[in-house]
Amino acid sequence: MLRHLITLMWNRKRANGLLILEILLAFVVLFAVSSVGVYSWRNYHAPLGFAYQNVWKMQLNPGTQPHAEQFAALQRVLARLRSTPGVVTLSRSVDNTPFAFSNNTTEFRAIEGKDRPAAYGDVYDAGPELRDVMGLRMVAGRWFDRRDEAVGRRPPIVITELTQAALFPDGTSALGKVIQGNLGEKEEFEVVGVSGPYRAGGELSEPQPGYFLYISPQDTARALFNLLVRVQPGSGAALEKKLNEEIRAASGGWSSNILPLPDERRTQLKVNLTPPVILGVVCIFLLVNVALGLFGVLWLNISQRRSELGVRRALGASGAAISRQVVGEILVLTTFGLGLGLLVAAQFPLLGVFNVKTSVYLTAMALASAGLYVLATGCALYPSRLAAGIQPAVALREE
Amino acid sequence: MLLSYLKIAWKVLLRRKFFTAISLFGISFTLMILLVVYAMFDYTVGPHRPELHVDRLLYVSRMQLLYRDGGQSNNAVGYGFLAQHIRTLKTPEKVSLSKANFELAVAYVGQQVLKLDLKRTDGEFWQVLDFDFLEGRPYNPGEVRDAARLAVLSATTARRYFGTDVGVVGRPIEIDAVRYRVVGVVRDVPLTRANSYGEVWTPVTTGPDDLRKPDLLGQYQAIILARQAADVPTIKDEVQQVAQHTPLPDPKLFKQLNMRAQTLLASYTARFDNNAGADGGVGRFLKVMVGLALLFMLLPALNLVNINVSRTLERSGEIGVRKAFGATAGRLVGQFLVENIFLTLLGGVLGLGLAAGALALLNTSHFFAYSNFALNSRVFGVALGVVLFFGILSGAYPAYKMSKLQAVKALKGDTAA
Repeated sequence: MLRHLITLMWNRKRANGLLILEILLAFVVLFAVSSVGVYSWRNYHAPLGFAYQNVWKMQLNPGTQPHAEQFAALQRVLARLRSTPGVVTLSRSVDNTPFAFSNNTTEFRAIEGKDRPAAYGDVYDAGPELRDVMGLRMVAGRWFDRRDEAVGRRPPIVITELTQAALFPDGTSALGKVIQGNLGEKEEFEVVGVSGPYRAGGELSEPQPGYFLYISPQDTARALFNLLVRVQPGSGAALEKKLNEEIRAASGGWSSNILPLPDERRTQLKVNLTPPVILGVVCIFLLVNVALGLFGVLWLNISQRRSELGVRRALGASGAAISRQVVGEILVLTTFGLGLGLLVAAQFPLLGVFNVKTSVYLTAMALASAGLYVLATGCALYPSRLAAGIQPAVALREE
Repeated sequence: MLLSYLKIAWKVLLRRKFFTAISLFGISFTLMILLVVYAMFDYTVGPHRPELHVDRLLYVSRMQLLYRDGGQSNNAVGYGFLAQHIRTLKTPEKVSLSKANFELAVAYVGQQVLKLDLKRTDGEFWQVLDFDFLEGRPYNPGEVRDAARLAVLSATTARRYFGTDVGVVGRPIEIDAVRYRVVGVVRDVPLTRANSYGEVWTPVTTGPDDLRKPDLLGQYQAIILARQAADVPTIKDEVQQVAQHTPLPDPKLFKQLNMRAQTLLASYTARFDNNAGADGGVGRFLKVMVGLALLFMLLPALNLVNINVSRTLERSGEIGVRKAFGATAGRLVGQFLVENIFLTLLGGVLGLGLAAGALALLNTSHFFAYSNFALNSRVFGVALGVVLFFGILSGAYPAYKMSKLQAVKALKGDTAA
C-alpha cells in the first residue's frame, strides 16, 4: 500500500513540484521558529543566579571635576550612601551590571591538564559586598574579603560552576588552582571560590562561564562610576531623591542616575523579546497561508479526480480506504518536502552558523517535522472525507 | 477588451468564493506586513518633523580612528573640533551642534520620579530642524552663548511635570537639581528620530562639559542644513577635506581618521556597521532589506501559484473554446495576468486597510515611544509597486501553463499536464 502510494506520487513529481517546494519552505519556516523557540525556552529556564528585586543601579557622572579629586569624592559618596537609612549594602561595579546591554568577555585558561582547557566567558568586576547585594550563592570556597588585601600574592578570582566544569573537565575542584588570562604568565589568578551562576545578560542570554575579578576598596582605577545598591523592600521615589541629593552633596556636584534593576529587566525583555515575537507572528501568518493553500489545492484535486475515485469505489474500495489514500498521498508528498527540508536544516548544525548547540537544532527539527505532518494531515482531512463520500454511480455517469 | 477581461475576472472570483477568500487572505496579509515595515522605515528616515527637509540635511555624528595594529575607535565628535572646523564650512546654510545622544535626567513631581531624556543643543538646532511648537519659542543662539537656563519641553513632558501642556511657558522646572525656565513646548518627537529626539532640550552651555576642549573624539554631532539638495555632495566633499587635513593625534599609533557627512539613513546604518564605506552601509542595508522582502513574499506567491494552477485547469473548457476560435497564447497569457493583477489589487486595497489598522494599534500600544505611524503617499506608491510585482510573480507561471494547453485536450477536459 505504502510503496504503491510512493510510486504514485513519485510518478507525478513534476506535476506536484510546486506543492513540494511549498511544503519545503513551510518546513524551513517551522524550523526557524522552533529553533528560536527552543533556544529561548532553554535559556529562560536556566537559573538566573541572583535576586534583582530591591537592587538599584547607580550611574555617577563627575562632570568637570578634576581627575585627581574624583577618587576622594567617590570615597565620601560611598561612606555617605552606606550610612543613609534605607540602603542595605552597596558595591562598586563596571558597566556590565545586570540587564544593562553591556558585557565584558574574555578567555581564561587552566595551567594544568593535558591540553590546558580554556573557557570563554563574562568577566565581572566585583567588590567584597557584591555577593550580598546580588544574593549570589557560593558552591565552594569563599567570596572576596579582607584576606584578598594581602600584598605579594596572586590576585584572587571567583569562578562560576559552569567555568569550573569547563576548565577542569576531570571534575577536580578549582579551589586553590591558578588560571591565566590572555597575557599568559603575566596575568595569573588564584581561584578562591566557586559560585553559582550569575547571568547578568538576563533570562534570555545563553548560560556561559563567568569570572569575578576583585575590586579592592582602595582601587583608584577601575569601577569608579557604577554602583549596585541593595535597598530596603518598598523603597521608592523618596529614597531615590534623597540618594541623588546625598551624592551631589558628598561629592561636590556629581550628577547621578538611579535605575532600579526590575525596570532594567523589563526594558531588556521588551527589546529581546520583540524580534522573536515578530518572527513568530510572521511565521504563523505564513503557515496559515500554506495550510489554506494546501487545503484549496487538495479540494480542487478531489473534484478533478472524481471519476478515478469513482472507479475505485465501484471496484469495491471502502470509503475509509479512499480517505486513507488521499491522506496517504499528501503525507508522502510531505515526506518528500520534509526530506529536502531536513537537508537544508542540517546545514545549520554542520556549518555552525549561529554558534548554537546542536541539540537545540535537533529538537527544533523534530518539532518542525511533527508540526509539518500535523499541518498536512489537518489540511487533508476534509478533502479526504469529501473523496470518501463520492458515490460511484454518480461519479461515473459524469463522464 | 480590458473591461471584458475585468468582468470575466470578477465573475470567476465570485464563482468559488472560498478560493477567492484564500487568495485574498494571502495577498492582503503579505502586503500588510510589508507595508507596516515600510511605513515604519519611512517614519524613521523619511521627511517627517522635525527633519522635514531630509533631502537637505547631513549629519556628522561619528569619528573613526583606525589604529596601526588593526583596532579602531568609533565615537561621536568633540564640540571644540566641530565648532572650529564644521561650523565654519562655506557651503551650508546653517550648522547646528548638539549632544549626539540624550542624557538621562531626573525631575521630581511630589513623590513621583520623572525620568527624562534630556538633549543639549545650540540655538541653531531649532533653525536647522522644523520642530512643531505648540506654544512659546525656542532658545536663540545669544541665549545659548550666555548659558541661560532655559528649557524646551515636549508636550508629554509638560503634561507629566505640570499636569498640563498649555500655559507652561515661563514656569520653572527643576531637572537634576538645576532650575530651568520653560520657553517653549513642542509636539512629541519619536525615539526613532535618534538625532533630534529628546523629552527636554536645554542649551548646550548649561551642561557639565568643557566645550573649548579641541579633542577629536567627544560626545557631539553636527547637523548641517544645505541651501538646496544639490549642495549635498559638495558639503560631503568639504567635510571629507576637513577629515583629510586634520592631523592624526599620534601618527605612530593611528593610521587613518574617518569622518563623514551622512544622510539621515546613513547616520543610522553606520551605527551598526563600523566598517561601512563612504555610503555608510546604506547600499548593503537596502540590499538585505529587499532580499528579505523577496524571501518573505516567496511563500505566499508560491501558494497563490499553486491555487491559480489548480483553478485554471478547472477552466480548461473555456480555454479550449477560446483557443479553438483563434485566440493566441500571448492573448491568453495577457488575459490571465490581467485577472491575477486585478485579484492582487483587490488584495492590495484590503492590505492597505489592514496596515492602517495595524499601525493604529502600534500607536495606541505605545510600544515605540511617541510613535505616530501613518500611511502616506510614499507608502501608497510602495504598495502599488509591490502589488504589481506580486501579481506578475504569481500570475506568470499559471498563465504560461494555461497557454500551453492544447485546444483538443482542453475541450475534452483532459487536464493532465
